[in-house]
Amino acid sequence: MAEPRSQVSASVSQKSLGFSASEGPAAEMDPVEYTLRKRLPRKLPKRRNDVYINMKTDFKAQLARCQKLLDGGAGHREICIHGLGLAINRAINIALQLQAFSQGALQLAANTSTVELIDDLEPEDPDEAGEPLTRTRNNSAIHIKVFYPSA
Amino acid sequence: MRMGSLLSLVPNKVFPIKPTYTMSGAKDRMRHKKMRNQPSNVTYSHTGRSSDSQQQQQMRGLTQHPSSWMRGHQDGGVRHEQALPKYITASLFAKARAAEVNAMLRAVTKTTGSSQVFGALPKHMRRRAMSHNTKRLPCRLREMAQRMLEKSQQAGKKEKKKQSKTKSRRARRRHGNLLLEFNRRQRKNKWLETHIWHAKRFHMLKKWGYCLGDRPTYKCYRASYRAMNSGCLLQDLSYYCCVELRGPEEQLLNALSRLTSKDAGPTFAAASCVSGQKEGSVMLYKADQYPHQPLGPVCFLWRPCSTTSPHRQLWIWLHPSLKQDLLPELQAVCQCFEAVAPAVVEVVPSENLAEASPIPPAPSDLSSEPQCSKRKRKVEADDENGCPAKKIVGDGTRSLSTPVSWMSSTTEIVISDLTMEIVRYRLIGPLSHSVLTEILVPATDCENNIKMTSSPFWWPEECKKEESMSLHRQQTDVFQLLRGVYSTAELPAGCVLGLTVDDPRLSLPAKRGKAMPDLHRTQGVDEEGRRNLTLRGVPSPCAQSALWEKSVRENVTNNKISEQDLNRMKRELLVPGSRLLTPAQSRVPILLVNQAGKQLGEERLGWGSGWDLLLPKGWGMAFWVPLVYCGVRVGGLQMSLKHCQNKSVPHFPHDYPDCPAGVRFQEQQEIELLEKFKRHPPSKRTNYIKYGCVAPFRCPWQQLVEEWEERVNQDSKTVEMKDVTSLSGDSPNPASAFTVLRSRKVLRQLSVWCRPSSSHPRRAPSGCRAPPLCPIVTISLQAEWKRCLLWVRVCALSKGQPALHAMLCVPTTEDLQRLREDPQWSGPQEPQHTDHLKHQLKRKGKRGEAALCCSALKKEQDCNIPENDDVSSASEKEKNPELVPINQHSGPSLVLRDPLPEPSAAVTTDPGNSRVESLSITGCSNSDLVQGLWTELLPNMLSHCTRMTLGWVVQGDFSLATGTGEALGFVSLAGLLQTLLRQSADQRGIVLLRNPTSLQYRFARLHIEA
Repeated sequence: MAEPRSQVSASVSQKSLGFSASEGPAAEMDPVEYTLRKRLPRKLPKRRNDVYINMKTDFKAQLARCQKLLDGGAGHREICIHGLGLAINRAINIALQLQAFSQGALQLAANTSTVELIDDLEPEDPDEAGEPLTRTRNNSAIHIKVFYPSA
Repeated sequence: MRMGSLLSLVPNKVFPIKPTYTMSGAKDRMRHKKMRNQPSNVTYSHTGRSSDSQQQQQMRGLTQHPSSWMRGHQDGGVRHEQALPKYITASLFAKARAAEVNAMLRAVTKTTGSSQVFGALPKHMRRRAMSHNTKRLPCRLREMAQRMLEKSQQAGKKEKKKQSKTKSRRARRRHGNLLLEFNRRQRKNKWLETHIWHAKRFHMLKKWGYCLGDRPTYKCYRASYRAMNSGCLLQDLSYYCCVELRGPEEQLLNALSRLTSKDAGPTFAAASCVSGQKEGSVMLYKADQYPHQPLGPVCFLWRPCSTTSPHRQLWIWLHPSLKQDLLPELQAVCQCFEAVAPAVVEVVPSENLAEASPIPPAPSDLSSEPQCSKRKRKVEADDENGCPAKKIVGDGTRSLSTPVSWMSSTTEIVISDLTMEIVRYRLIGPLSHSVLTEILVPATDCENNIKMTSSPFWWPEECKKEESMSLHRQQTDVFQLLRGVYSTAELPAGCVLGLTVDDPRLSLPAKRGKAMPDLHRTQGVDEEGRRNLTLRGVPSPCAQSALWEKSVRENVTNNKISEQDLNRMKRELLVPGSRLLTPAQSRVPILLVNQAGKQLGEERLGWGSGWDLLLPKGWGMAFWVPLVYCGVRVGGLQMSLKHCQNKSVPHFPHDYPDCPAGVRFQEQQEIELLEKFKRHPPSKRTNYIKYGCVAPFRCPWQQLVEEWEERVNQDSKTVEMKDVTSLSGDSPNPASAFTVLRSRKVLRQLSVWCRPSSSHPRRAPSGCRAPPLCPIVTISLQAEWKRCLLWVRVCALSKGQPALHAMLCVPTTEDLQRLREDPQWSGPQEPQHTDHLKHQLKRKGKRGEAALCCSALKKEQDCNIPENDDVSSASEKEKNPELVPINQHSGPSLVLRDPLPEPSAAVTTDPGNSRVESLSITGCSNSDLVQGLWTELLPNMLSHCTRMTLGWVVQGDFSLATGTGEALGFVSLAGLLQTLLRQSADQRGIVLLRNPTSLQYRFARLHIEA
């Protein structure tokens, strides 16, 4: 997935954070330095014709992989291309390229969704702060079904 | 007369030579062999003439000095022909000849010792396997062959007799005797509970007082990586030692805070850890010594607060090689010096319980009675024979009699050593929780009728308490939620779940399969609960487990149903293959501890996460086999090293060169590598001197940091900022040893500096907080952290597979320029060095062979021709040849050095160093000079090669995760800062990598992960 997976040191005051759940003593605490660590997005079981697009792998390689799934020995009638966050753009791009190469044989069906992501906030001074906090945030995702129409 | 002269020639032909000739040993032996069966009486009895008597004497001399024999006709023989006798006495002569003929006949009939009987056979009569079956020989030789066969068989038997076993195999394999034998074999290195399983499948190593599996005998390196990456890998970590601390919370925290520092990350007092919700890990130092004198990393786990006791319980898990350093330190900090006698408690309860158990625990359970009586009989039998049954107590790091528990007179802290008391398995991989949910079944409730009666087992007692049952239900619910989790990395790192489970052997699947996350079951799980679990982790009361209680652990261990009984119970089932009713004693308290995956850095986050499974001792195999049946792969020490390498975490004790255990490991490793090196024939050994590799087997970290410090001081002196230098550099403490930088703040700052600025433009906010890289900041940093090493990860840019102890070097500006022009450029080359120690070695070799002779010759020459100038000068040169080549060598290296401003002092110190070294070499050359290796005193290693050395690689391999060479190592902090300052922003963090056995430098990117 396309999450920039680095933790970013950021000074955040607790009030500014949108907590998923109400943290009791959080309100009266001083702004503490936190380290933000992003957890990986939740993984779901993957079929053979699911392709998750990321920003690390070469674009061409990902395109070739999709192409291979469609017309290779695997011979899937349809594949599903998933993209999250920054990779939405690339997922769309790949789907359109596939369609263009197929000379109109392929059809697309796009779906969007929202994925809940979890961040851990680790206090710099772990002894003083309370328990490490987690917060959730949402990110957009796209799921494009690329298929041969069953005519 | 004619005949006489002819005959007299015979002895001349046989012994034609004078005895003064010298000859080699081999010839000598050959002659001896040939002459062994020759008649000794081939002599002239005639003593008429002086010449004859002379001859006779000569011949006697010959037999006494066998070294004087030589083949071929010699000049000496001529003399005898001239001295032919003029007359002979017939009777004497005939007698002598008769004796000769007799001897000759005897020699012909006698076989020589070495030849086989078939030696006498012509080739066409030889048959296959004649020595085996004498009947294949012709009759006349059979007897002799039979005799020889018997002789050889007897000789073979004698050899075997020495190690013969008194008992038959059947007796030896009997259970009791087998256990005795096992106990004997464990005297030096203890076995884990899974030892026999491992020993059948693994290459075993004897390490740290244990026998541990290193790697499987079958090929599975890649498969194991895949298991870690996408499946599940299992390891037995029971060799880790557990130390229990018990006492009031404040006292414990106060005592332990002296060993740690907040600067290096969360300590024992971290809020989430103190509540018992999470397992923490921490780096320990000697009391109040941070950042110096580190001891090593440990994991710790607090027992969740219980209402019954005001005291807290803390388990510290440590590596066995750390124990000898840490345990005294812990005692000192907690002031626990009073050893509690190792109570007989360890052994007694097993017998007591066994004797107490004849009360049938579960009347419904038909099979329990015979089993109990059986055990009793066994105990009695053991007592009668006086042979100790296999004790599960014991561990590799202490003897049984030494105290395992210490208490304090001033504080209320009690330290006890729980080594080998708790079994610890580690499951690595995203599917490890699926494996756990597959094999573990939360304990079923007890039948009501048992609840009424009192029971010797712990679980029925536990069932009577309402609160413990509600806790159990809560834990069961959480455990069921795990099924809904797809990957182990989704859970918060380090969370702990206590659980009581049924004996996994009862629900062992009939067939070995592979655990996969099940879609259908996933849908059944309550979504809200799962979300809460991944967000907040296991609620802290659920981390409670009966495993913390010593009494429960002992109860469970001693009442384990043996494999044999279990099989019998299975056999007696009415429906074969159906599940057994759970016997009352087969509930086991366990702890599940989540292990975080890769947390630092940018790549592969969450890689290698998993679960640790903590069990009471004795139950190891009961859980191991079901785990293996779930299709996990089993790894050994090699895989735990690779696991750490892929997580880019230092592995203890390999990657802790500043800890005492790490130092010991390095020494051990050096010895092993040197041994291996010396096993090659000299001509096949790598000449590391020619490769410019100063220390191929051991990294001299101390020398590296000192040299870098010196250089930096000189640099700053020559450039500017005299005030800062006086502050930082002029008060070097020569005694201070190097340390590894573990301050999180500094590491984070450095990791930002190491990144090339252009690649992450989005990271602006994080960059602006840290001060930008500039000389003033670095100097203050260096002043604060003197003699520090940095743990770095190095990724090869294109080609190159780093090996152990590969050098990390500073690229010159030309190198970087060329790399910018041609990104595919493979890198610069190191010119081959000259091996100036070779002369030393050669001379040594000569001296060894003919030292006396040579020296005598030399003296003679010197005395005889003192006027010959060139000879004497040559011998002068020979006396100390190492002086010249070193200077020759250091010359070009100085010229070729990188364009960093060269401090003049370094140039002057260099030859000085080498001179000192050469002197020392002449001093110690006789003891340990190995070709291709530097002796004890190393040259200035910073500028030994054309690129300056920054540090060395301690773990390097082709990384299956990234598909390139990847290495982990240490660099000098001062050196790295210097390098970074000189590099342009877009090429920051590029270093050169060179293997010890190669001259090719490779470009690599350096990462500091914090």
